Amino acid sequence: MAKIIPACISGEENLLVVIIDCNPVWWGRRQQQAAEPAQIVLSHCLDAIQVFVNSYLMLSHKNRVAVIASHTSKTHFLYPKNMADPRLDQRRGEDGRYEQFATVDDTVVEEIKQFMTSDTTSRELKTDTLLAGSLAVALCYVHRLEKEYQAGQQLNSRVLVIKAAEDSPSQYMNLMNVIFTAQKQNVVIDACILDKESGLLQQASDITGGIYLKIPQMSGLLQYLLWVFLPDLTMREVMALPPKVQVDYRAACFCHRTLIDIGYVCSVCLSIFCSFSPICSTCETAFKLAKPPMFKSKKKKRSLQNGGPSTSLL
Amino acid sequence: MADEDVEKTYRWEGDYEKTWEVLQEDAAGSLQASVDDIIHRAKRRRLQDRQVNVRLGMMRHLFVVVDMSQSMEDQDLKPTRILVTLKLLENFIEEYFDQNPISQLGVITTKNKRAEKLTELGGNPKRHVTQLRTLSSASCVGEPSIMNSLDLAAQTLKHMPTHTSREVLIIMGSLTTCDPGDINITMKMVKDLNIRCSVIGLAAEVQVCKKLCNMTNGTYGIILEDTHFKDLLLEHCTPPPATVNTDSSLIKMGFPQHTISQDHDSVKPSMCMCHQDTEAQSFTPSGYFCPQCHAKYCELPVECKICGLTLVSAPHLARSYHHFFPLENFREIPLEELDAELSRFCTGCQVQLNGPVVYCCTRCSRPFCIDCDLFIHETLHSCPGCINKRIGPNSS
Repeated sequence: MAKIIPACISGEENLLVVIIDCNPVWWGRRQQQAAEPAQIVLSHCLDAIQVFVNSYLMLSHKNRVAVIASHTSKTHFLYPKNMADPRLDQRRGEDGRYEQFATVDDTVVEEIKQFMTSDTTSRELKTDTLLAGSLAVALCYVHRLEKEYQAGQQLNSRVLVIKAAEDSPSQYMNLMNVIFTAQKQNVVIDACILDKESGLLQQASDITGGIYLKIPQMSGLLQYLLWVFLPDLTMREVMALPPKVQVDYRAACFCHRTLIDIGYVCSVCLSIFCSFSPICSTCETAFKLAKPPMFKSKKKKRSLQNGGPSTSLL
Repeated sequence: MADEDVEKTYRWEGDYEKTWEVLQEDAAGSLQASVDDIIHRAKRRRLQDRQVNVRLGMMRHLFVVVDMSQSMEDQDLKPTRILVTLKLLENFIEEYFDQNPISQLGVITTKNKRAEKLTELGGNPKRHVTQLRTLSSASCVGEPSIMNSLDLAAQTLKHMPTHTSREVLIIMGSLTTCDPGDINITMKMVKDLNIRCSVIGLAAEVQVCKKLCNMTNGTYGIILEDTHFKDLLLEHCTPPPATVNTDSSLIKMGFPQHTISQDHDSVKPSMCMCHQDTEAQSFTPSGYFCPQCHAKYCELPVECKICGLTLVSAPHLARSYHHFFPLENFREIPLEELDAELSRFCTGCQVQLNGPVVYCCTRCSRPFCIDCDLFIHETLHSCPGCINKRIGPNSS
């Protein structure tokens, strides 16, 4: 165990990107059920995230944090902001809080207030969240920071998704692109699921080597965050983490959307079908049918008689 | 500069070029601005010469032929040509399987007028890379033989199904080839077998290679220096356009599930089929089981050794989908002309846009910086602006 050096000592810098699912429909429902003891509302969730982020910053002065909010129709970068907010500058130093914590907390709260109230006019609210978009923005940000670093310096990045609402199947392809990019960049995607199991995020954390955890009790969010998601990647191998979930990697066929064990794949467009058909319904290619073996051998014999290429058939 | 061999004439046959006139001094007498501009344009060029709407050969069978002749000991690439080649090939193999997850690759070496197969066609990058590493201590002697290498590659490739793309990539340090017969006959045979041959030359252009590439629709590139070598090599990672003779067919594939035993008492450990010949054989409780014959494998993709079924997982196929739906190139517009309503920060990485030009997505018209533009087109393949919007059919 002696060889494990926490990153805070080894001199490598860490980046944690927290993506908060702010789906208004889902959080609105929680608000209605707020009387029940096991439920949490968005403000409680934000409190937990603030404590978590502050704890993460406290672990090492080299730890960096970014916070992104994901909505049903947009993504917003909460922290760090590009421009310093003058309102926050005024307030700075008024109370005795540590400056960095105060900046993170106040920026996140201000931004999320603005963000959640700005778009109340939209006609229809969807129940699913654009997680792939937020992850894409997170990866662009990681890419930029990595470029800013000089050679020799290393930045260990990971993304933590706090997911509330349902999966959105229409984003499958974009999410897959994001997952493969993360895998290429060595960015780990962790998933903390508040409500229903998410098949897509299971794949994301399995492919990138992150932790997937559906928390058993929503009101205990902070404890799960601090126990499971706070320690950095080097510490993970000595921790007793929740057991890995079994990820279903079976393909769904394009014709009936059923999961299949054995299927047929079009060689041109890689569409998956559950039964053989002579024409691909996606790219409209007509497939060459395998000829009966009798006919094939006859043809070869004839070509031999004609002095064709001497195959070793006879 | 490799693009110029598309034109029929050589550079020295063309008109006299005043290359220094491209550089313009700015008010302060500095060349920095025009140098930046050239670098900038070179970055974008890779994106621009991409073809769209062509049928691609998605399932590839590629043989890489590595010249191990004496000329590979030359030190014009540091430390030697062969070491640089092997290092870049390792990188290439990783990238190849990343972009072509259901394709196969094999390595052939040629020295002393002979050709030897280093690895058989296979889908496991690790196996190729470990074999390649053994080459770095091997000596480079004698002359290479293109004919023997092509014969050896064709022996295997001709048995590959007709719906796959058959390819040979030759990395050639020598300026000569020593062949046992008429190479024109071999070239004709390769062409008839529908094998696409490409050559990367480390020294100078050779007529026989050029003819081979032209006949088989391959590409022929001569390296300028090691970064250019890398670029030429990585060009071969993207699937080539399919030839007319390539058939299409439905391929039967299995999608096995990874089974992990939850409690160790009920599941018996078993051996896997992939590590049967190696000594590091161990019994494991988990693995992928072929849905047809229940043989166990440690990793995917693999062709089942028992029943011949190709075993893949759904994400493997999804990895290739971005080739079918390439992201359109972003429009380059000056920063001043950018819509006043749009923010002056990059939609992707949030950096302040202060360059002379910004890049806007043609669909969502959000602005991006040059680094994000490249990153999005080369790696991400999805526009962060578009997937953060509900409208538009981008998600299909």
